[in-house]
Amino acid sequence: MNRSTWLLLRLLQVIPTFLLIGVAVFVLARLLPGDIVSSMLGERASDAAINRMTHQLGLDRSIGAQMLSFLESVARGRLGDSLAFHVPVLKLIGDRLPVTLLLSGMATLIAVAVAVPMAFVAALTANRWPDLLIRSVFQVGLSSPVFYVGLVLLTVFAGWLRWFPVGGYGDTAGEHLYHLFLPALTLALSFAAVVMRSLRASILQVLTAEYVDFARAKGLRGRVVLFRHVLRNALIATVTLVGLQIGSLLGGAVITESVFAVPGVGRLMVDSIFARDYPVIQALTLVLAVLVSLALLVSDVVQMWLDPRVGR
Amino acid sequence: MMDTKVPVSRRALLGGVAAAATVSAFGLPTPAEAAPVLGGKMIYARYADSQRLDPVFTELNVDIWVMNNLFDTLLLPTPDGKGLKEGLATKWELSDGGKTVTLTVREGVKFADGTPMTMADVKFSLERAMNPKNGSWNSMVASVASVEVTEPATVVLKLKHPDPTLLAALAMFNTSVLPKAMYDKIPGKDDDEKGKIFGQKPMGTGAFYVSDWKIGEVMWLKKNPYYWKKDAAGVQLPYLDEVEMPVIPDDATRLLKLKAGEVHGTEFIPYARVKELQGDANLRMELWPSTKVTYIQFNCRPEYKGKPNPLSNVKVRQALNYAVNKDAIIAITTHGLGKPLSSFMSSVTPLHTGSGPVYPYDPAKAKALLAEAGFAKGLEITCHALSGNQDDQNNLTTIQQMLAQVGVKFTIEQMDNASRVAAYRKGDFQSRTAYWTDDIADPSEITSYFVYSPTVDCLHTGWKSEEADKLFVASQEEVDPAKRAAEYAKMQDIFNHTGPTMPLYETPYPVAFRKNAKGFVQIPLGNNYFEAAYVEK
Repeated sequence: MNRSTWLLLRLLQVIPTFLLIGVAVFVLARLLPGDIVSSMLGERASDAAINRMTHQLGLDRSIGAQMLSFLESVARGRLGDSLAFHVPVLKLIGDRLPVTLLLSGMATLIAVAVAVPMAFVAALTANRWPDLLIRSVFQVGLSSPVFYVGLVLLTVFAGWLRWFPVGGYGDTAGEHLYHLFLPALTLALSFAAVVMRSLRASILQVLTAEYVDFARAKGLRGRVVLFRHVLRNALIATVTLVGLQIGSLLGGAVITESVFAVPGVGRLMVDSIFARDYPVIQALTLVLAVLVSLALLVSDVVQMWLDPRVGR
Repeated sequence: MMDTKVPVSRRALLGGVAAAATVSAFGLPTPAEAAPVLGGKMIYARYADSQRLDPVFTELNVDIWVMNNLFDTLLLPTPDGKGLKEGLATKWELSDGGKTVTLTVREGVKFADGTPMTMADVKFSLERAMNPKNGSWNSMVASVASVEVTEPATVVLKLKHPDPTLLAALAMFNTSVLPKAMYDKIPGKDDDEKGKIFGQKPMGTGAFYVSDWKIGEVMWLKKNPYYWKKDAAGVQLPYLDEVEMPVIPDDATRLLKLKAGEVHGTEFIPYARVKELQGDANLRMELWPSTKVTYIQFNCRPEYKGKPNPLSNVKVRQALNYAVNKDAIIAITTHGLGKPLSSFMSSVTPLHTGSGPVYPYDPAKAKALLAEAGFAKGLEITCHALSGNQDDQNNLTTIQQMLAQVGVKFTIEQMDNASRVAAYRKGDFQSRTAYWTDDIADPSEITSYFVYSPTVDCLHTGWKSEEADKLFVASQEEVDPAKRAAEYAKMQDIFNHTGPTMPLYETPYPVAFRKNAKGFVQIPLGNNYFEAAYVEK
């Protein structure tokens, strides 16, 4: 199999994945306990109002008919209107998705920028004090709950020191970056810890490889060996890991965006769950699942680029 | 939203309420105060965004509590939530044995776009509110048979029968006056469809209009330059040019923003944080009297899940009430900010009766009553709690320990909201937590749900009192205020002493402001008023 065929097959895998995601989203929404409509309309709603809403949502049809109609609508890009806000779901998500993507992007950049050099320092000083110190600090980052880290950063840097605003998103591009720094840092802390640990382990493994010894024996300078031979090979596993972590990052955004009052899809998810806004919950689950599977696709492609053995 | 931790004495609460009330009467500054600052912007952080600002179709407090800034009703609730005062109508009188209501409408009123309000707008809005197909509130004006208007300023309501609640209903949000001409131009096959569009960019005769709205994020209200109301000194209202309402669901973040001075005020202060904010020199903690009551409700049917139900015995229900120390619960859950209920309705609901707790703490009496009911050896009861709700958790674990003292094994079942509501509507619960807030300055709404069995089987408990049912029917047509008050006193007596609930406490609305942000008012029905709010430099 050549690499183009591999890439084509990998892209084709996305289709059944999306279909399965669609079915799963539909089934999960129906598996939720209790009557969705009476929960949405509240305890004081009349039976007539409940019957009317049940009919409007098509919940009085058979499950099979509902699923086919749902999948057909999704395929046509029609995700319905928000029950709470009475605007198209796609508009709600479209307004907020760039915010979450910017936040996740910033978090990834911060995490990688911190984790890669630290992983090198830790690996090159394995089991000595710099390594132990770095691992201990990152362990704290890894084991601290996101909402707690967020609140601490918010209280210290926004509440006390006033270096940053207390949440929000701002109006201009510069303000967006300024407002999103603390939430991105919150998300980046645990992400960086995962990347650092993985990369450190890979570097240690690669450092013992014969081709590294050979490169050194050729008389290559230490820096060239490290960046051309060690880093590139050590990054292969880390790239996959970063792809896998996108899901956790988006999950973390649900909490971080709520704590920092960032108007992204994470907070929209929380608001929609509280409002029992099922079309939005379904659409968001779908969009986030698609995003994660696209991230995995991208990480596979990057891995192919880094590792010529992939796809052969 | 209201999980709390720091104890505050009830005296502190009452002091807070009194202080807040003397700051301004309904937001209007008292003569002793400095003149209000005109212009500027107030930023008021909310815990959740509005969803549909259509007076007829909304069912949510996040809409109802801000709509009074956008729309006016013919009458308005008084600041204490118990009476009525002039709104868009300046005079009103009953005739024909209470079957005709004639209102004189204020002249010269304009909508926020400068269009004059006409009698056609009034008629259209009332008929839209009365339409049985429209929303959940039409029953409040169901007694109206016809709306007749005469230009320039008279509206006559012909009633099917005398209705003592109708005037209060004319002060309720669902009877707000909308601009008919603007509404007619909105596409849609019915009021529901048109209302969805109207509710995204509503406009009325109120102090403000929605100038922009990023849904779920922030809403901006701009001053209505044509607003009809002036303050006591003759200064045009509203004072502010703009109110910005960012949505910040997280309590800690909202308070941090307030403390950092990034917002001027915010709502739903957790009880645990009230004392801390009271001690902050830059802030002013306000505790507005509310109609919110918290209670446990009991299923009174003879059987529950195929077995005899001890709660069908009135003595068991009374025993449980005597066995629970409400003051302790108030201290634990509300940090002393609540007060014991003296009736099933709040003490600020009109026609409320009672002064002391309905059931003073008396475990010995509880044991005696249980013995009389045949449960000297104890009994088991389950209670549906809302999963993740801190107040429920605090209330129920405290109750659990107190009931254990009288031999009652009280099992708490945590349930998600959807399952809990479904079980409630089917009457499939033995006991459950609940709370209530009034939407109208009249006791009929809460009484119809709690006491009058045909509405929803008395909170779906299966409890029924024929005498109370008859009293309620009579009270709905009783035009003599004294007789109606007596009927309500009797209904409260019956329900409080034999009914299907354990009244726990009533709590105020906790809001906090920067010291320089003044004039905000929240009335017991929950409505937020910004018309006399201002920000000092």
